[in-house]
Amino acid sequence: MSFDNKKLLAVKDLATTFHTAGGDLPAVGGVSFDMESNQTIGIVGESGSGKTVLSRTIMGLQQRTNVTVTGSVLLSGFEMVGASEDEKRERWGTEVAMIFQDPMTSLNPVMKVGKQIDETLRVRLGMSKADAKARAIELLELVGIPSPQYRYDAYPGQLSGGMRQRVVIAISLACSPKLLLADEPTTGLDVTIQAQILNLLEELKERLEMSVILVTHDLGVVATRTSRIIVMYAGRIVEIGSTREVFAHHRMPYTRALLESSPKVSNASHTRLTTIPGRPPNLLKLTQGCSFAPRCSYATEKCHVDRPELEAADEPGHMFACWNPLPKTRRTVKK
Amino acid sequence: MLRYVLRRIVMLIAICFIISVGSFYLIHLLPGNITTVIEGPGASPENQAKLYKLLGLNKPIYQQYFVWIGNVLRGNLGTSFISQTSVASTIRAALPIDLEIMFLSQILAFATAIPIAMRSARKPDGWLDRTFSAGSFTLLSVPTFIVIVLMVLFISVKLGVPHTGPSSYVSFSQDWIGNLESLALPAVALAIGSFVVYYRVLRSDLIATLQEEFITMARSKGLSQRRIMWRHAFRPSSVALLGAAGVNIGGLLASGFVVQYLLNIPGLGYTLISAINMSDYLLVQGIVLVVSVGVVLINFIFDFIINIVDPRISRE
Amino acid sequence: MSNFPQFNVLEEAILVEKPEKKEPLGVLFWICVGWIGLNIVGAIFANVLPIENPLFQNYSLVNAGPSLHHLFGTDDLGRDIFSRVVYGSRVSLSVGAGAMLIGFGVGAPLGMLAAFRRGRFDAILTNVMYVLLAFPAIIATIAILSFWTPRTLFKIIVVIGIASVPLVYRVIRTATLSVATKDFIVAAKVQGATDRRILLRELMPNIAPIAISFLLIGVATVIALEGALAFLGLSVNPPTPSWGNMINESRTILQMNPWLVIFPSAALCLFLLCLNFIGDRLRHHFDVTEVKL
Ligand SMILES: Nc1ncnc2c1ncn2[C@@H]1O[C@H](COP(=O)(O)OP(=O)(O)O)[C@@H](O)[C@H]1O
Ligand SMILES: [Mg+2]
Repeated sequence: MSFDNKKLLAVKDLATTFHTAGGDLPAVGGVSFDMESNQTIGIVGESGSGKTVLSRTIMGLQQRTNVTVTGSVLLSGFEMVGASEDEKRERWGTEVAMIFQDPMTSLNPVMKVGKQIDETLRVRLGMSKADAKARAIELLELVGIPSPQYRYDAYPGQLSGGMRQRVVIAISLACSPKLLLADEPTTGLDVTIQAQILNLLEELKERLEMSVILVTHDLGVVATRTSRIIVMYAGRIVEIGSTREVFAHHRMPYTRALLESSPKVSNASHTRLTTIPGRPPNLLKLTQGCSFAPRCSYATEKCHVDRPELEAADEPGHMFACWNPLPKTRRTVKK
Repeated sequence: MLRYVLRRIVMLIAICFIISVGSFYLIHLLPGNITTVIEGPGASPENQAKLYKLLGLNKPIYQQYFVWIGNVLRGNLGTSFISQTSVASTIRAALPIDLEIMFLSQILAFATAIPIAMRSARKPDGWLDRTFSAGSFTLLSVPTFIVIVLMVLFISVKLGVPHTGPSSYVSFSQDWIGNLESLALPAVALAIGSFVVYYRVLRSDLIATLQEEFITMARSKGLSQRRIMWRHAFRPSSVALLGAAGVNIGGLLASGFVVQYLLNIPGLGYTLISAINMSDYLLVQGIVLVVSVGVVLINFIFDFIINIVDPRISRE
Repeated sequence: MSNFPQFNVLEEAILVEKPEKKEPLGVLFWICVGWIGLNIVGAIFANVLPIENPLFQNYSLVNAGPSLHHLFGTDDLGRDIFSRVVYGSRVSLSVGAGAMLIGFGVGAPLGMLAAFRRGRFDAILTNVMYVLLAFPAIIATIAILSFWTPRTLFKIIVVIGIASVPLVYRVIRTATLSVATKDFIVAAKVQGATDRRILLRELMPNIAPIAISFLLIGVATVIALEGALAFLGLSVNPPTPSWGNMINESRTILQMNPWLVIFPSAALCLFLLCLNFIGDRLRHHFDVTEVKL
């Protein structure tokens, strides 16, 4: 991977290990990918596959105690891994911002939402009190909150989940970041609200010329909104490629299982979802082999003892990690 | 919010009512003939009549309560038969001293506990945190009456620091500097007890708060650590602190009694203990009533402040 | 008086189980247990131990410092401080044990039942306890003890014991609530286990860790309270020695005989420290993490 400054984000061999009472837990085990400006990429994987840890590590939000981060995260050419809190702080909000998984816990419950927005404006952009307030109300309006002047003085507890997530988005956009990491921005919300929030994000991305990393466990969410998809399992990338390729020509059995288990908005309510049999592996007891092998119907002897590395598929940029990939035919997902 | 406050006010009235019944009934715990016990050496037909008027002793007991509470509400707590002074005026003279001691000690306790807890919580298990956690845990086992006796032993007696020993109290109106000097030791002694509690409560709550997602969110906004600690972590954590302070008031007052008793500071505590020793029961009753209602009122105010600090509470 | 706050700190501690390894109790824990044990044995067998009569006044040897013959020295009446400290522990230990027996005997069953039954019973009882909790218990204790004369050990135990009921109720109720909603209890209910069985077999063992550590801290608090009352002259009357009244008696002769303060103070503080330490270790051991009520 080059140290090309034009790349917005270049992640190389990124690994995050938690030192827990039960031993070392490699939540992210060597992830590499990069990303251009004005792109939206998706990171998908079952819950527990390390998506949140990966996003936080990219942000550099990992606390120093009991965590080791190795590898490299170049953000507009700046190395985030090992950077001091001060150096990272300069970039947080302006270069890269994050939307957290749970809007119920990511807002300060005892601070008015307006204050939470304009605090950023005043501290980071040095705005005056009055300017910041005006801008905060503008931002609330931008994220589609009705009567923003009035909501400015609300406490998070007085807002619905969807409203709170909009506030979180407003906060993260306050300093016009170049890259927005959205970690399951809609998981806690109603289906109808989910679509609204995702559409809002898409629209804002266009309008503000941001890049977005959309993290989700639901492939349906990323299908139409991203140009590239990263599929994660047990802290590693198991398949990566353009959205079209991953949907049409995925090679990794896990990706297929994930696709089959994802609900489609089109044939909503009473379609039966397949769930992936088995459980995600215990990261404290990872084997030498492919982590998905125990749950994979294609697994052979080799899969259990030798871990496959990412290898290129036909289309450039499409890679997968599997010893027994699915055949290269075009496929549609079983309904 | 309004509903919450109303509910609390109803509760407050209920508690004050129970306190008044309890204080009223105290008299009836006395062994033997109440009038002779209360009047003590001051027994005379004239005093007897006064006492009957105050307590309504010739009536059935529930009516006695109404006679008594009627008098109390008019500010008449009776006249001590021992000292021949009105109980209300004795209390009025002593009360400011308690308030001053409590005020000084709380200022000291908060001014030390908050910054130290903040530093401690920022690096749990750092040297500062370890030192203060262990130290405060140990001090938790040292009752305030021992702290104060040891302080008097070492500071006033052994080191001979002036204006600290027993009977060195100077009243505020007489000489305010001397007054502050004479209250320094009591204030510090009480502050130590409060510090221990406030430090521990705030520290553990801060550590929990700092794990919250909204703190990570605040970091990700690019705010300075200082700002995160004071603006984001402190306020939600201070609820437990205020709660502890509210509950602490009763104990603090009682510790204040101990200090006054040891150093002969003529506050309510000293007055109370001497009244008990002199069997001045009307004075004891008056002090108990005033102090209990005071504690409940202070608790009520703390509750109210907590509500303003954390709007979640009244909403639940 | 003093030390009240301990209760409040612990009120906040309620059980949350995590499947992790149990933290070891450590050597210091056992030393503390040993010290408490030694004190109990000393208190029970004080009159058969080869120590001096705590009331015997030796006027030829007043205010003597520690020596081989009088380990802790003698007081202003020539009594042996060591044996007074040993005998004094009787008052503290009886108050601690007796008051908590009343507090837990009444508060714990009520708390468990309220949390288990919920509904009207719980609502009424909890409100009553809430009102009682708002009552400044220390002041009430002082007030009752000052009127209910003559003061005896029994009365002191009863008054402090009753004053502790609402607190015990609240802690046990919260602890039970946190357990009662867990899956295995719900499962037991669904399977038709009797209430009695669920209370005794399922709930009791699960709240025992909290109850025990709260009990220890409760004992410590009550002992400190008795000490303070004794210091104010509101506990058992002299010449019966108690740690608190020994400190009270020494107050006027601090200058002459500091040992009279130092030994009973040390005995009291050490005892409280051990109780608190044991309670604290147990909470860590059973992983009772702090969760707000
Ligand atoms: N602070 C932490 N300490 C220890 N393990 C953690 C920590 N955070 C996450 N993990 C572990 O890392 C794994 C990945 O978690 P996460 O990134 O949250 O998954 P996802 O977001 O994909 O659902 C999980 O097994 C989780 O238990
Ligand atoms: Mg996640």
